[in-house]
Amino acid sequence: MNDSSLSTPPEDTGNVMAGGIAVAEEPIAAPRPTGTPMIVFENVSKVYDNGVVALEDVSFGIDKGEFVFMVGQSGSGKSTLLKLLLKEVEPTTGRIIVGGRELGRLKRKQVPMLRRNVGCVFQDYKLLPNRTAYDNVAYALRVQGAPAADIRQKVPEVLSLVGLTHKMSSFPNEMSGGEQQRVSIARAFVNHPPLLIADEPTGNLDPDTSVGIMQLLYRINLTGTTVLMATHDREMVDKMRRRVIALERGHLIRDERRGGYGGQE
Amino acid sequence: MRAKLFVTEALRSISTNISTTVAATLTVLIGMFLLGLFIALGSWVVSWTDHVKKELLVKVYFDDAAGPNEINAVGDRLRVIDEVDKISFVSKDEALAIMRKRAPELTRNLATNPLPASWEVTPKNADDIEGIVGQIQSANLAGVNEIKYGKEKSERIRKVAGIIELVFLGASVILLIASTMLIANTIRLSIFSRRREIEVMKLVGATNWFVRGPFMLEGLICGLLGSVSAVVLLFIGKEFALPQILGRVDAGADVKAWSFSLIALVLVGVGLLLGAAGSGITIRRFLKI
Repeated sequence: MNDSSLSTPPEDTGNVMAGGIAVAEEPIAAPRPTGTPMIVFENVSKVYDNGVVALEDVSFGIDKGEFVFMVGQSGSGKSTLLKLLLKEVEPTTGRIIVGGRELGRLKRKQVPMLRRNVGCVFQDYKLLPNRTAYDNVAYALRVQGAPAADIRQKVPEVLSLVGLTHKMSSFPNEMSGGEQQRVSIARAFVNHPPLLIADEPTGNLDPDTSVGIMQLLYRINLTGTTVLMATHDREMVDKMRRRVIALERGHLIRDERRGGYGGQE
Repeated sequence: MRAKLFVTEALRSISTNISTTVAATLTVLIGMFLLGLFIALGSWVVSWTDHVKKELLVKVYFDDAAGPNEINAVGDRLRVIDEVDKISFVSKDEALAIMRKRAPELTRNLATNPLPASWEVTPKNADDIEGIVGQIQSANLAGVNEIKYGKEKSERIRKVAGIIELVFLGASVILLIASTMLIANTIRLSIFSRRREIEVMKLVGATNWFVRGPFMLEGLICGLLGSVSAVVLLFIGKEFALPQILGRVDAGADVKAWSFSLIALVLVGVGLLLGAAGSGITIRRFLKI
């Protein structure tokens, strides 16, 4: 891990930390999109077995290194879209390409490999309840057979990155929501995945804590990791001025390079 | 490397889920204890009915006038019947000696020996007894006075033995199914309570075997602990309770249950299989993420 670039956040991130999200006249500097696609959705529809249409004819692309918000009401299809990316569910029609690999062609056996390359952060953290923060992060490395020495080195590193060195041996129920989400982010990032997806990571957190989490995701994005974040947090989206994809009842209704939350909700 | 990881994961999960581990182990213990008891009792009863069946004999009685030639001729004829296992000759004197032993009062004042000489025919299979009798009767052998085989007694014994065998077979099958379901249910509960954990494991990229391995190992350990404790309990029962019961039961020396070590082996085997296969199969449903 490139420690120095991560532990000294760029100035504008400090700004975010200090005053909530500073009202940015100018958009915060983002790594230039590289032009190579990380995620491609081609006419993707998803109809669940019970007949519910979650997504209908959705097409978009996300380049490597982008930071993208996905907004929309509950039931608009955000979670389904993220589940499709992890191959938790299969699209009814259409093609999905992640990191150059078409998911439809991926065999079941290859799914774990896909997931090791896609870090996930969830609204409810999804930590293993009877493991310490350290072990939760280490688990993500153990599942891929990482050598013990590697684990001993990387886990403390990433935990210090999220500012939890002192909580290393705490169990999830001994930590606050924000701290648990930091552990979850550490676990998602410990592999340095090219793509990180977050499903309302700040949904259960108070505004101040949310800012810290956003700052972390932002710093992760600065290392070149593509970040796709589903959120309800209007204020956050409006102030970050990043690309926004809006879903409504399964349709992609808006895709703005530097958008706000928008809409009347 | 991976094996070591599985062992540490399984041990961790056993210690953090101690109550479900204990529940699963106790379930295996109860199931295997009952199964062991049943195998022992069942095999003993089956062996006992075999023993009783073996005592069923066809007796071919001779006229007092019948001489050695006729007796030998009948003996030769009996030996060639396929269903006959063995025959033995009881002379008039031997018959009287047996009767004296059995009923001293009745025989005390006898002036002459009223008992006939006879061949005692042991069938290979108690069920063939009537066929044998039929063959002897149709042969119309010279010197034969009467053929007896305790018709009612033999039929009753055969019927009761058949019922006992059927009952024990049915009960063992039911018991096996019941204990399998009980154990499977306990395992399902323990896995169900951890389905979130499994979901998380899958989402961070664990392969199915990486999740399943420790669970199966845990099931294996529960199965082993449970069945070994059942064997220990059965052994204690065998050493202390059995002699007191057996002292009151009169049975032939050839009546035996399966040997204890065989039963123990079966129980530990079934326990291990139930534990490992039970968790391996049950977890499948939760791995489809």
